Amino acid sequence: MSLINPSDSLEQQNEKLLEITAALMRRVEQDTNRDGLAYTQFERAALLEDQVRQRTLDLEHTLGLLNDSNDQLAAANTETERARADLAVAIEAVNEGFALFDARDRLVLTNSRFCEQIFDVMADLRPGISFDDYVGLVSSSRYLELPLTESRADWVANRLRYHREPSATLNVRLTGDRWLQISEHRTANDGTVVLQTDISAIIRLEREERTRLIDRQAKMIRATLDHLTQGVCIFDQRTRLVGWNRRVRALLNLPHDTLRVGARVDRLLDELWTEINFDRAETPVELLAWVRKPSGRPPLTFEVGRGDAQTLAVMCQEMPDHGFVISFTDVSNERAAARALANANEMLERRVLERTLELEDAVAAAERANASKTRFVAAASHDLLQPLSAAKLYVAALSGPQAAPADREIVSKAQSALNSVEQIIDSLLDISRLDSGRAQFDVAAVPLNDVLGPLRSEMGPLAQEKGLDLRVLANSASVTTDATFLRRILRNLISNAIRYTERGKVMVGARRRGDDTVRLEVWDTGPGIPEDDQDVIFQEFTRLDARASASEGLGLGLAIVERACVQLGHPLGLTSRVGVGTGFFISVPRARAARPPSGDIPKGTAQYQKPAPLGASGLIVLLVDNDLEFRRAMTLLMEKWGVSVLDVGTAEEALHLLSEIQIAPDAALLDQHLGTGMSGTDLLDVLRDRYGPAPAAILSADRSDALQAHCIQRGVDLISKPVDPMALNALLDKIPASPAT
Amino acid sequence: MANSQVADHTIRPGPRFAHLEATDAARLHELKSQLGQCEFALVSLFVSPAADFATVVEQAQRVFVDTLVIACTTAGEIGVRGYTDDSIAAVAYPAADFTVAPLLIDDLTTFDPQDVASRLIQTRHRLAHSTSDKPHEFAFLVIDGMSLREDSVMAALEPGLGSTPLFGGSAGDGRAFQTTQVALDGQVIGNAAVLAVIRSRGPIKVFSHDHLRPSDVKMVVTGADPDMRRVRRINAAPAGSEYARILGLDPAQLDTFTFAAHPVVVQIGGRHHVRSIQRVTPEGDLLFFSAIDEGAVLTVATSENMVAKLDAELAALRTVQTPTLVLACDCLLRRMEAEQKQIARDVSSVMSAHEVVGFSTYGEQLGGMHVNQTMTGVAFYPPIDEASECP
Repeated sequence: MSLINPSDSLEQQNEKLLEITAALMRRVEQDTNRDGLAYTQFERAALLEDQVRQRTLDLEHTLGLLNDSNDQLAAANTETERARADLAVAIEAVNEGFALFDARDRLVLTNSRFCEQIFDVMADLRPGISFDDYVGLVSSSRYLELPLTESRADWVANRLRYHREPSATLNVRLTGDRWLQISEHRTANDGTVVLQTDISAIIRLEREERTRLIDRQAKMIRATLDHLTQGVCIFDQRTRLVGWNRRVRALLNLPHDTLRVGARVDRLLDELWTEINFDRAETPVELLAWVRKPSGRPPLTFEVGRGDAQTLAVMCQEMPDHGFVISFTDVSNERAAARALANANEMLERRVLERTLELEDAVAAAERANASKTRFVAAASHDLLQPLSAAKLYVAALSGPQAAPADREIVSKAQSALNSVEQIIDSLLDISRLDSGRAQFDVAAVPLNDVLGPLRSEMGPLAQEKGLDLRVLANSASVTTDATFLRRILRNLISNAIRYTERGKVMVGARRRGDDTVRLEVWDTGPGIPEDDQDVIFQEFTRLDARASASEGLGLGLAIVERACVQLGHPLGLTSRVGVGTGFFISVPRARAARPPSGDIPKGTAQYQKPAPLGASGLIVLLVDNDLEFRRAMTLLMEKWGVSVLDVGTAEEALHLLSEIQIAPDAALLDQHLGTGMSGTDLLDVLRDRYGPAPAAILSADRSDALQAHCIQRGVDLISKPVDPMALNALLDKIPASPAT
Repeated sequence: MANSQVADHTIRPGPRFAHLEATDAARLHELKSQLGQCEFALVSLFVSPAADFATVVEQAQRVFVDTLVIACTTAGEIGVRGYTDDSIAAVAYPAADFTVAPLLIDDLTTFDPQDVASRLIQTRHRLAHSTSDKPHEFAFLVIDGMSLREDSVMAALEPGLGSTPLFGGSAGDGRAFQTTQVALDGQVIGNAAVLAVIRSRGPIKVFSHDHLRPSDVKMVVTGADPDMRRVRRINAAPAGSEYARILGLDPAQLDTFTFAAHPVVVQIGGRHHVRSIQRVTPEGDLLFFSAIDEGAVLTVATSENMVAKLDAELAALRTVQTPTLVLACDCLLRRMEAEQKQIARDVSSVMSAHEVVGFSTYGEQLGGMHVNQTMTGVAFYPPIDEASECP
C-alpha cells in the first residue's frame, strides 16, 4: 500500500500529500510544540543509543586496558617499593660506606657508614649535592691527613682525576693513623658507586708485619754474616761501607775506627795498601778501576798475602742495587797444604824412579840366577848321573852270586837307594826341562791301549807288592798327545795312587766326553785329599804324608804332572772324598785317525768282526757273568769297539767294585742267572736305585715268557745267549756319550 | 514444583525467585519461606491486578521486615513455567551478593529532570564507594504503565546513568488498561517510578529482544496529540481507517490483537524501535503505548518466528556462562501475539528452559529509551570466583 489512497480524488491526494509533507517538514525541523517533547526525547535517545552503545563498548575496552595498566602499575609500584626497600636494606647491610651518585653526578643515597670516619662532613652529605661538592667537603675535613707535598687543592684535583676513570681504587690517609680505601665503580646507567672501606687495621698490621720481617731479616743476615768463615764487607752504590762482619776485622786486622758505616772504599784500601801484597802487580790498579766503575762490574777475584803466613782469597761482586760485596777467605792452610802436597808428590816420583831402577837390577839378577840354576840342575843332574851309573854298576857287581847273604842284603838296599836317587834326578831333570820350556813334545795320535797296556804291566807288581788290586781298563780309542809325557803323567798318577792307598783298589780307565775328548781317569781308594790341600799337592817337594820315606820320592810327581799337563794343554782335574778315595782326570783330545788295533782276536767271535762304531767307543760297560770264558770273549769283542769293560763274576762283586772305584758305568750287561747270589734283574734294581736309570740289558739263555715279561716290566732289553754281536752293538750304539766337562 | 525451586535457589548465588500462585495477601509468608532464611538487599514483587495491591504491599512490608521491597502491578506474570496470571512473583536479592539503592520519582508529571539526574549520579557514587566487592552495576526501573511519562522519565535518567545499563518495565493492569501501580517500602505511590540501582558480586548482562522486521510499507503521522500518545491522522487521513487501509484491514475490526499482529516501528539511525498501538478510540484515533508525534514515519513491521528468535536470543546469553536466573520485562503484546498464534506454550517452554522469570508489561525501558513489544531484561551469572571454584 502506498501513502496515497487510490480511491481518493487527485485533489484529495494532492491535499494529503501537502499535509504529509508539512508534517514531515515540521518533524525534520523539530518545529513542534512543547507537547512533542516526549517523542523528540525518544528520537534523541534512540539516536544516542547507537552512539552510547558504541561508546560503551569503546569505554569498556578502554576501561579494561586502564584496569590492566593500573594493575601493572600497581604491581610495578609494589615491585619498585620493594626493590627500593631491599636496596636500602642491602646497602645498609654492607660493611663499607656506600654512596650512589646518578649519571649527572648528583648524590642519590648513602648508607649510614658513608664518611663516618670523617664525620665532620656527614651533616652536609645530602642527596642532591654534586660529586665535586662531596670531594670539596672531604678535602676540607680536618680528619684528612695529607702528605706535606700535597695541598688540599692538589688532593681535590687528584681525587677528581680518579673519578674520571671508569673505576678507581685509592687509599686516603686520615688523622690518627687511620686509612680509608675508596673504590669507585661505574654503574650500568652511568651512575657512580663509591665504597669506603676502613683499612686502618690492615695497614697497621701490614706495617708491623713488614717491620718485624725486616728486623728478622736483618738479624738473620747479621747472624749469617757473622757465621761465615769469610770476611765480608758490603758497600752501597756510592762505594760507602754499609755492613761487615766480625771475621773481616780479624782477617784484615783493622783498627776499630777504620770499619764504620759510611767509610769510603778507597780510604779502606789506602789503609790496606801497605799491609798486603798482591799476587799480581796489576791487581791494585784493576781493583781501583773496578771499584770506581758505577755499575756493570764483572765479578773479580784475586789473592793477596799478608806477611809470610797468610793468604787471602778476595772476591768482589756487584749487587743488584749496584753496590758491591767484597769477601775475604783465609786460604793460608789450603795454600800451605797444596804446597806440601806438591813437595810430597815430587819426592814420591823420585823414589818410584829409584825403586824401579833397583827392581830392574833385581829382575836381571833373578833371571841370571834362574838361568844358572837351570843350567846347574841340568849340568848337575847330568854330571850326577855319570857317577851314579858307575855306582850302580859297582853295586851290581857286588850283588853277584858270590856275595855273602848278609852282604847281599846290604847290596840290595844300596841298589834300591841308588835307584831312588836316579829317579829323583830324573824327576828333577824333567821339572827343569819343563820349567825352562825346553821340553820337546812329539804330539801325535796315540792309541790309548799302547799307553795303558805297558802301564798295567809296569805298575801291576808294585800294586801287588802292597796288596792292592790295580785294574787298568783297556780302551781302543786314540788321543792326540805326546805319548812319552802322557805315559809319564799316568805313571806318576798311578804310582801316587798306589803309594797313598793302604788297601783296596786302583782303577785306571778312559771315558769318552762328547765327540772330541777322552777323559783318562785314575781312581784310588786312598785316604782322600781335603779340599784345602787340593791346590797344594801340585807344588814340588810337597807331600801330604810326612811319614813317607825319602825313597818314596820328594813329592815331585804331581808337580811334573801339573807342569806337563799345562804344557800339553790337557786340562787336569781332581775329585776327592776324605776316607773314600781320590780321582784324577786328564782330558785329552780324541784322535780321529787311530791306528788299527793290534793283538789277537778270539776265534769264536771273529766272524762277527766289524769296524767299531764310533758311537759306542769310550763307554764304560759293566759286564756281570759267572762264566769266565764268556766274559773274556765279550770283553775282547767290546774292547774292539772302543768300549772299556768292567767284568765281574757275581752281583755282589760288581756292587763292591763300583762302590770302591766310585765309577758309574755307562751301561750294564747282566747275566740273569748268577749262581747262588742275586739275579741279573735284582742287580739291575739295585744299580738303578744307586746310580739312576742307566741303559742296561739282561743276558740269558732262558727264553721263557716269564723272564720276557719280567724284563718288559722293568723296561730293560733282553739279549738272548748266544749273544748276537749285532744286537749288542745296536744296544751300545744307542747310548749317548756323557757330556764333555 | 515451587518447593524444588526454593531448594535450588538456596544453593545458588544470585537472586532467588519465589512464586505464590494466588493473589491472597495473607499467604505472602509462603513467598518468604520459599525464598529461605537469608538477608535480602531487595525483594521485588510482581503482583497480578487481581490482587488487592495495597494490602499485598502492606503485608509484604510486614513479612519482609527491614527489607527494601519494590512492587508493581502486572499484565501477567512469568514464573518457572512461563506465562501465568493471578499470581504474585518475587525476585529477592541476597545481601551477600547484591547491594541496592532505591530512587523514587514520585510525581511523573512535574518532576525536575535535572534533580532526577543528579540524584541518580549521587546514588550510584554512594553505592560504588560502599561496595568494592560487587563490581557489576545495573539499574532496574518499574514505572506507572498508564502515566504516559516513560519517555520523559527516561530522558531525565539518561544523563545520570553513565555506563550503567538500565532496564525496566511499565506496570500493567492485565488487559484492562485502567490503573497501574508501583510501591516502595509498603507505600503505594501513584504516577510514580521506582529505580533500583543494584550492584552485584556476579556479572550481569542487560539485553533487549524483539522478533520484528521492518517492511517497505510506511505511513506518516500528520496529526497527533503527543501528550496523550494519540495519533489522529495518518497520511492526512483519519488514523484508524488509514492504518486499516494500509494493512488492508477492515477499520471496524481493529482491536488489540490486530495491533499486536501488525506493529509499526520507527527507524532511527539504522535501527528500528517498535511503537505499539494500544487501542483505537471510538473517534478512530490510535492510542500508542509510547511517545509519538506528527511527522513520525511509521513502518509496518512483520513478525518473524517468535519461538526460534527468542530461543536464539536466550541461548546467546549462555555463550560464556550459564545465567542463574533471567529477569525479564516482557511486553504484553508479545504474549498476546503468541496467544493469537497459539504458540504461547512454546514461548513459555523456551522461557522456562532458560530460567526466565518476570512479568508482562505495558512497555519496556532500555538505556534512555522507552520501547514496546520487546523482551528486555537482565541475566544474572554466578560470581567469577565461585564459578572458578565450581566450574
